[in-house]
Amino acid sequence: MYFATFILKNIVRRRLRSMLTVLGVAIAVGAAVALLGIADGFERSFLSLYQQRGVELIVVRAGKAERSTSFLDERIAERLRRLPGVAQVMGGLVDAVEIPGSGLQAVLVQGWYADSPLFDALRFVSGRRFRPDESHVAVLGSVIARNLGKKEGDAVSLYGEDFQILGVFESFNHFENGCVVINIRDLQRLLGVGNKVTGFQVVVEPAPNKQALVDRLRGEIEALTDDRGHRLPLSALPTADAVSTTSQLRLIKAQSWITSVIAVVIGSIGVLNTMLMSVFERTREIGILRAIGWRRRRVVRMVLAESLLLSLAGAVVGILFGLALTFALSRVPMAAGYVEGTIAPSVLLGGLAIAVLVGLLGGVYPAWRAARLLPTEALRHE
Amino acid sequence: MSDAVLVRSDHLCKTYPDGHVTALVDVNLRIGRGEYVAIMGPSGSGKSTLLNLLGALDRPTSGEIIFDGQPLSTLRDLDRFRAEKVGFVFQSFHLLPTLTALENVQIPMFEGRLSAAARARRAAALLDVVGMAHRLDHVPGQLSVGERQRVAIARALANDPVLLLADEPTGNLDSRTAADILALFDQLHREHGKTIVMVTHGQDVAERAQRILRMRDGRLLEP
Ligand SMILES: Nc1ncnc2c1ncn2[C@@H]1O[C@H](COP(=O)(O)OP(=O)(O)OP(=O)(O)O)[C@@H](O)[C@H]1O
Ligand SMILES: [Mg+2]
Repeated sequence: MYFATFILKNIVRRRLRSMLTVLGVAIAVGAAVALLGIADGFERSFLSLYQQRGVELIVVRAGKAERSTSFLDERIAERLRRLPGVAQVMGGLVDAVEIPGSGLQAVLVQGWYADSPLFDALRFVSGRRFRPDESHVAVLGSVIARNLGKKEGDAVSLYGEDFQILGVFESFNHFENGCVVINIRDLQRLLGVGNKVTGFQVVVEPAPNKQALVDRLRGEIEALTDDRGHRLPLSALPTADAVSTTSQLRLIKAQSWITSVIAVVIGSIGVLNTMLMSVFERTREIGILRAIGWRRRRVVRMVLAESLLLSLAGAVVGILFGLALTFALSRVPMAAGYVEGTIAPSVLLGGLAIAVLVGLLGGVYPAWRAARLLPTEALRHE
Repeated sequence: MSDAVLVRSDHLCKTYPDGHVTALVDVNLRIGRGEYVAIMGPSGSGKSTLLNLLGALDRPTSGEIIFDGQPLSTLRDLDRFRAEKVGFVFQSFHLLPTLTALENVQIPMFEGRLSAAARARRAAALLDVVGMAHRLDHVPGQLSVGERQRVAIARALANDPVLLLADEPTGNLDSRTAADILALFDQLHREHGKTIVMVTHGQDVAERAQRILRMRDGRLLEP
């Protein structure tokens, strides 16, 4: 017999209690994995939105916490383009709208220039993009089109106005497939922001030392001044920073971390309770094990192995549960634009790490209690 | 080094902290290598306490036990010593209920160096010695009490100890089954050269041993 077999038999022996403990850990780990997975997927999706287009810097208004409601004059684009080393500057306006009758409460609406290079990365499944002079026209990402049940030629209501759908596109990026893209002129008018944009995406020219170039450009962009010599309110963030400091992302990250901590605490208490009970119940048995030759250390190993096994089983069930949860969420129209149906392996490993932590936290004290039992006392225990 | 004395106790005293029970008072004894000794005495006279001390399951309050020339007080790891040198047999068997006979016998072997397969082979061989070769895969609940005690004896032999300590091993058995178990102890003594110390309440049981030690109020009575 293997020691592992013995451990397994001990677990199976208290079937119901073990199952309930596993379930407790599974729910905790599942919730943590789902949330961490969503946060991570969100961040990576977001990042890829820029990285796939070679965007190195995001230029937004300085000093605003919520970037999507701050604006910059679109003419700044020209100033940026003139900086040596800048290859492309792509301005855009972003807003979120509720689409009446669809149940979708926050659909991202992007205002793009008709000739924007941003379109280059889109593959049109049907129809075409809009021309500069076209108004009240929209192109839809494939996910939003599916969720709205709309296709080329249909109309979609935005801000109380009807927009004709010119085409449906497939982007490399999950987020973008959940977006509606309209002419920036329309969006500027609808938001009443004249000729303002939310920000600019900056692609830099190839350079042997790209990092140095990016750093230099950051400095130069943030030092730009207006006609009267006043510093323009610009903040140029490296893409990764821009993404990780997005307020929504910060919020969901904070939430998922809090959930993980709660998961560890709840899971540990569950395992602790189970293991403590099983150590007390087996007082005499532990005395016997010691009498027939087991060392303290092996009793400790037995208790820890049992608690780790319980929590790892919980992790496996919980990870499946988390995967199912995110997959289901990605099918719900309301969340589909934000949630990818998969979870990164690193997050799944994080779930396992949580389980190991839970197993150790829940097992150490009972193991210590078990090791402290005096064999003669334990043998006399009724 | 084959000293004729396997275990010796010098001025052994044991006081249990709770209630200040003095369980052993100045016990001096010698048990020869290969000897079969019975311990008798009224309930509470300290028999089990003495057995536990001889088996390094507990430490004396004062006095010394010299096992195989080695003073036990100098050992840091009594567990290891016990695993290698001593086998315990109890009145109520104390088998693990969910494990088969074969598995129960392997439990003490986890502390040894045998592989899982070797453990299983050795356990099967020991069960054969105690006449249980036909019940390897039965759990204790499926065995008669006599059979359970045989399995427990096989378990005590798991790490090939020099000393077998049995605390009323026939106390829960009817007289016929008891006779079988006692015959098994005889066999282990004669054929396998085990040193045996057995606590018993039965005069007839004790008489099978080579020597009877009598205890009263924590003291060893003069023979
Ligand atoms: N762990 C302990 N804590 C406190 N007192 C104990 C402990 N173990 C034994 N005693 C006490 O020590 C004395 C001797 O006990 P012991 O078990 O050695 O007697 P015994 O001769 O084996 O008796 P029995 O025939 O009933 O098994 C008794 O008074 C008992 O109550
Ligand atoms: Mg006793």
